[in-house]
Amino acid sequence: MEDLILTMIVRLILPFIQIYGYYIIIHGHLSPGGGFPGGAIIGASMILFALAFNLKEGSNKISHDTSTLLESGGAFGFAALGFLGVFMGSNYLSNRAAGFPLGIPGNLISSGMIFLISIFIGVKVASTFITLFFNLVEGKTHD
Amino acid sequence: MTALAAHVPALVVVNLLMCSYIMPVLARWKKHLCIPVALGSVSFSFILSIFLTFQVSRQGAFSYALGGWAAPWGIEFVVDHFSVFMLLTLTGVGLLILVYATEDLIHELKQDVVGWYYTLYLLLMGSMVGLALTNDLFNLFVFVEICAIASCAIISIKENRECIEASLKYLILSAVGSGGMLLGIAMIYMVTGNLNFTYVTEALPQAFELYPRNIMVAMSMFTAGIGVKAALFPLHVWLPDAHSSAPSPSSAILSGLVIKIYAAVFIKIFLRMFPWDVYETVPLMTIVLIMSSVGIVVGSMFAIVQEDIKKMLAYSSVAQIGYVFLGIGLLSQNGTLGGILHIFNHALMKSMLFMSAGAIIYSTGVRRISDLKGIGTKMPLVMSVFSIGAFSMVGIPMTNGFISKWYLAIGALDVDKPLYVAVILLSSLLNGVYYLPIVVNAFFGEGKESVTVHHKLPWKMTLPLIILASAIIITGIFPKLMLGLADKAVMFLLN
Amino acid sequence: MIEILSNLLHNFYYLIAIILFVIGFHTMLSHSNLIKKIMGMNIMDTAIFLFFVSIGYVEGGRAPIIELGQDHVYVNPIPSALILTGIVVAVSVTAFALSLIVKIYQHYGTVDAEEIMRIRSREV
Repeated sequence: MEDLILTMIVRLILPFIQIYGYYIIIHGHLSPGGGFPGGAIIGASMILFALAFNLKEGSNKISHDTSTLLESGGAFGFAALGFLGVFMGSNYLSNRAAGFPLGIPGNLISSGMIFLISIFIGVKVASTFITLFFNLVEGKTHD
Repeated sequence: MTALAAHVPALVVVNLLMCSYIMPVLARWKKHLCIPVALGSVSFSFILSIFLTFQVSRQGAFSYALGGWAAPWGIEFVVDHFSVFMLLTLTGVGLLILVYATEDLIHELKQDVVGWYYTLYLLLMGSMVGLALTNDLFNLFVFVEICAIASCAIISIKENRECIEASLKYLILSAVGSGGMLLGIAMIYMVTGNLNFTYVTEALPQAFELYPRNIMVAMSMFTAGIGVKAALFPLHVWLPDAHSSAPSPSSAILSGLVIKIYAAVFIKIFLRMFPWDVYETVPLMTIVLIMSSVGIVVGSMFAIVQEDIKKMLAYSSVAQIGYVFLGIGLLSQNGTLGGILHIFNHALMKSMLFMSAGAIIYSTGVRRISDLKGIGTKMPLVMSVFSIGAFSMVGIPMTNGFISKWYLAIGALDVDKPLYVAVILLSSLLNGVYYLPIVVNAFFGEGKESVTVHHKLPWKMTLPLIILASAIIITGIFPKLMLGLADKAVMFLLN
Repeated sequence: MIEILSNLLHNFYYLIAIILFVIGFHTMLSHSNLIKKIMGMNIMDTAIFLFFVSIGYVEGGRAPIIELGQDHVYVNPIPSALILTGIVVAVSVTAFALSLIVKIYQHYGTVDAEEIMRIRSREV
């Protein structure tokens, strides 16, 4: 079922939704939001795409393999980032002591590790949303 | 190496979680690496737990601040005698169950979800280890949720109807339980302004005078929430279905470890966080005592009438978790010692019994108890292991079940509650009623139609059984080994 | 009596959270439709989140985003931060429960708990 109005509108607003999602992710340390809400918005945008066009096309954009990789990579990256602190002689998941530059509060590149962690969480959440949706729709057997 | 030694408390959790995150990738592209990585990760955590045990016995309890943020602000892991006791139980038994699972799962699950099983298994282990270590209320909640989701998923991964239904029931009830716990945490945070156990403990006596209602609501919420998750008697309805329909390794870990870790959380919250003089005004522990002793008797009675062997074992778990809570509720040194010791002992016994039941199902396909007649001659090893477990459940001397029941009875006498000694004796009798006929029939009974053994048991399945059975005997004859550790844990909790 | 009423009025946000909690709990227990049970679970979770967040509210406070050089009263950010985690957890539990319900629907052709019980009892 492809509806002209629906596809046109989705085509128009999809870039804005995605940019808004990215904005929320990378401004996670400055304003409300962060990895989870931003990731959810990006995931929702992909779901919207798949619903408005057809599911085949939607799932072609991000295959199961890619989303598995992204999911594992996001979570693993978060955990691995914590070890930088251990190697720098401080505690697990430490920020400044691990040698991350803190920058000036209020700037985009600041707050050291939190910035990176938001990105990892965003990747993880977005891919999880997409996987969840497609698994529910297709009824596949992946958890 | 010395630099890393300080970070072991974080490493023991993160190692499991990280390996669980990469498992889906391995399952997709490098299937042969799944089992080695899972085994390596759990055994690494086991080694680290032994290391932590030595460290604690040398220098006493110590804490680890995640992210370098000191206690009231950051999340804190505390390694004390109680948490290393739990760590050893979790990682040791967990490793043996995993070894068993590598072989058993090939027959029980579809080929393409076996990789996912290890993800969930490691996630479950990681969250349980985290629960044993954490010293922060909210962190505790997060680990509880991870643990709940992972343990539901580990049931529903076997996609037949019973499993999915049991899993959904478990999920809904445990969501109510988590909700209750979160409300309890909110109440505690409201009146103390802290989430760290140590600081909450300091603030509680004063808060109890000012806002007794809040604290009482928090206590009831925690009791109900943890009670649902630990299957304390009237809240146990999800357990028999969930534990009996799951794949055998899942049943072993759920019955052996998961319900025990909630009992440990209960100990952490009610014996360490709340000051003990609260129980003089609030009759919480009396309620726990009543619930647990009714659970002990009724759980055993339900177990007698079961026909499915795994369902019988599941009902027996309801009864046995009652012992742990009985020990906690007695609020005496020996009683708590018995309760804590029973966490370890029952983890050994029940995981072994479930695994031997799984082994019987694996090789013969028989689940009904009445069909087990004469199986002792066909599978002598598994049935003798099962008999050791059964004797330990009944509490026959020379097995470790006797030791914990002994201390529970002494604890009950210490606080002048001989009624609970009678409960323990009665339930031992009931345990005998449903365990011993299986053993007797298996060795001496004559089945009408002989049971055929289809598969020979691989060594990966027999080895964990033998190790656990010998551990039961060894800790039964030389109870000093675990008793020393449990004794220190109780001493630590009493202070 | 007056005292209790004024206490309730003063802490009306706690009262509302508890009312929501009871609504959710009741929905969860009394409805046999599994989807509605999950909805009830979510309402219950939301009630707890509202309760937790309202603990951290400071009279006249604003969102805790620090602007340099300005002195404001901020609300306590810790409950909000914790509840973000709680929401994430609730979302994952919901997703998992829904996927289980999809499976149950495939097996039984219904999402009604009583209907499922009837089907099972007929088979036994």
